Amino acid sequence: MKKLFPVILAFVLVFAFGSAALADITLANLKVEIDVPLKAYAEAYGEANGFNVKIDTFGGGEDYHGMVMNALQSGDMYDIFMIEGIGGYNTWKEMLADLSDQPFVAATSLAYAPEGIVVGFPIAVEGFGIGYNADILAAAGINPADLTTLTAFEEACKKLEEMKDELGISAPIAMACSTSGGMWWVAAQHNFNAYWKGNLEYDDNSIVELALNGQVDRDRLVQYAKFLKVMYDYADQDVLLNGNYDAQVNLFGTGKAAFIQQGNWTDPNFAGLNATFTRGYIAAVWTDEPTTAIMVAAPSYYVVNANSANLEEAIKFLNDMALTEAGQNYMVKEAGMVPAFAGVTVEPDGQFSKAVMNAAGSGDVFGWGFAEMPDGFNMDVLGPIFELYATGDLDLEGFVDMVTDAIATIPE
Amino acid sequence: MSKKHPWVNVLFLAPVTLAFVLVIIVPFFLGIYYSFTDFNGVRSHLTLVGLANYRVMFNDPIFLHSFLLTLQYTAINIVSVNVVAFLLSLLVTSDLPGRNFLRAGFFVPNLIGGLVLGYIWQFVFNSALLDMGRNLGISWLSQSLIGNKNTVIWAMSFVNTWQYAGYIMMIYVAAIQGIPANLMEAASVDGATYPQRVFKVLIPMMASAFTVTLFLTLTNSFKQYDLNYSLTSGGPAALFMGKASKASQLLAMNIYNTAIAAKRWGDGQARAVMFFLILVIFSLVQVWLNKRKEVEM
Repeated sequence: MKKLFPVILAFVLVFAFGSAALADITLANLKVEIDVPLKAYAEAYGEANGFNVKIDTFGGGEDYHGMVMNALQSGDMYDIFMIEGIGGYNTWKEMLADLSDQPFVAATSLAYAPEGIVVGFPIAVEGFGIGYNADILAAAGINPADLTTLTAFEEACKKLEEMKDELGISAPIAMACSTSGGMWWVAAQHNFNAYWKGNLEYDDNSIVELALNGQVDRDRLVQYAKFLKVMYDYADQDVLLNGNYDAQVNLFGTGKAAFIQQGNWTDPNFAGLNATFTRGYIAAVWTDEPTTAIMVAAPSYYVVNANSANLEEAIKFLNDMALTEAGQNYMVKEAGMVPAFAGVTVEPDGQFSKAVMNAAGSGDVFGWGFAEMPDGFNMDVLGPIFELYATGDLDLEGFVDMVTDAIATIPE
Repeated sequence: MSKKHPWVNVLFLAPVTLAFVLVIIVPFFLGIYYSFTDFNGVRSHLTLVGLANYRVMFNDPIFLHSFLLTLQYTAINIVSVNVVAFLLSLLVTSDLPGRNFLRAGFFVPNLIGGLVLGYIWQFVFNSALLDMGRNLGISWLSQSLIGNKNTVIWAMSFVNTWQYAGYIMMIYVAAIQGIPANLMEAASVDGATYPQRVFKVLIPMMASAFTVTLFLTLTNSFKQYDLNYSLTSGGPAALFMGKASKASQLLAMNIYNTAIAAKRWGDGQARAVMFFLILVIFSLVQVWLNKRKEVEM
């Protein structure tokens, strides 16, 4: 109960602050990592267009939605805020502006329109897969282009394991699943996405819907468990079982592992480590059906408050971000994001981001399915199961059974 | 002096009473109310669901696991913190040179916040001790002690003892210094050995201090959250009654994860109400037991 006090105090301060500054349009930002470039862009944009754009950044998922909710209740609602999919859509849908006719919609295939009407502006494209260090693979005589099946991937890992000392690596793969290290999401969310979406059409949501009805596709799950076993068996065991984000990223970034299960948001980390080696993605090769696709989605969207007094300006702000050179430069160069829009000629600096941008452009991608699970399910229910499979407490059968039981509880 | 106007008391008490009511009393009763609803933390229309949240809680093996872990953690801490603190207090009230410096030194870990401390010790357990263990060939150190489901509670208790013993030591020091020196001298003259003096004179005379320290260690261990969060986040995973659970997820963390992460606020509040009741019962029993041992001077 005592913990409420700082929260209330924080609210009071935020609103004391919020109402002091006069702004024409206001935006509530959830991505802490783009806070500085976004504010700089908004200021420059506001000066050029004759109105103020005020950005408030609230880091961390839980606070963000509470803050926006409070802004609504205090009668000082944001003009632009963020949602992350169907959950947010259901909460806010009565007050979301229809953006269907806006110019940015024509330039993207990722606008958010859960009921046929476009309401969401895709903030950025993010992607993940199995990243590889091309230098290590070349030294081991492995061509990443050949790694399109689980068998080929497993053989490559075997070879790397045998050449470990020669190559100066500690293990073939930098994988993580530790609850203590906060890495449940790497295994139970991103790697597990192979089960949700692997080898399916981008819009095919059948496996996710099956789970929302409490059922699993057992053959698929068994095949996935074989793939996960390979990922675990050839991983650096310290990082796998105890490591945090830095431990996993550093292992790969310092050339101590040939593969990593991570997304393009790691680019700044590798820049920080001065990692100069060439890198790219192979697919999540969970079956022997050849594939090169990586998992790509626009995981969050800007939505516009339909009751805003500055509706036109707010929409113009978004259109210009997507379609003007200054806007694209901000998204790609300053904020380091992969834009969700066609016709962007600016290229991101990070190698993984480039790979994601190319994959998104070519359409050789699978979607993300994990975000539709109930709140906390991936972290608190799947996370420990994935860790127990890594520690050997569960065998393949035990893992499959336990995931099946866990998914069976979803409809409750 | 003229008599105070009766309103003066009320006026002076008003600010603190208001704050207390707003941040303790109102949320407390709201919490009890929410535990009977399907509140998710956001929704404004609540439906009363009766005892459904309590039923879910009692049928959840993971809640039971958290409860047992909390009991284990509390039991270890009550013993370890108090034994260590008591020994330290004997040390720093002896004639040892540099005892004032030691007194301050033992107290310092208590000034480091639980979060910072957790991250520091996470590094110690996951890197420093591992390297030591591997280079020196000590097998039990070459596995992370917080990554092992059988040792994690002990490792966490160790860190808590390291942090908290200095604080409890100060209470013991104050109690020891409050005992008239002639009592110890008299015992000494009568031929009592040092252990006899400690057990027959010192400890009975300090009974009221034990009431306080046992209460503090009990409630503190029971409510542990920050160290738990930063050191282990509840991990590693462990099997409990055929379910994948977490080997160091104490009650407070279970409540937080239920209410905030899983957005089952009503369910989380039901757990918080139960948590409150258990803690009240345990501490009342503890204080009652201790009070019987206290002696009047």
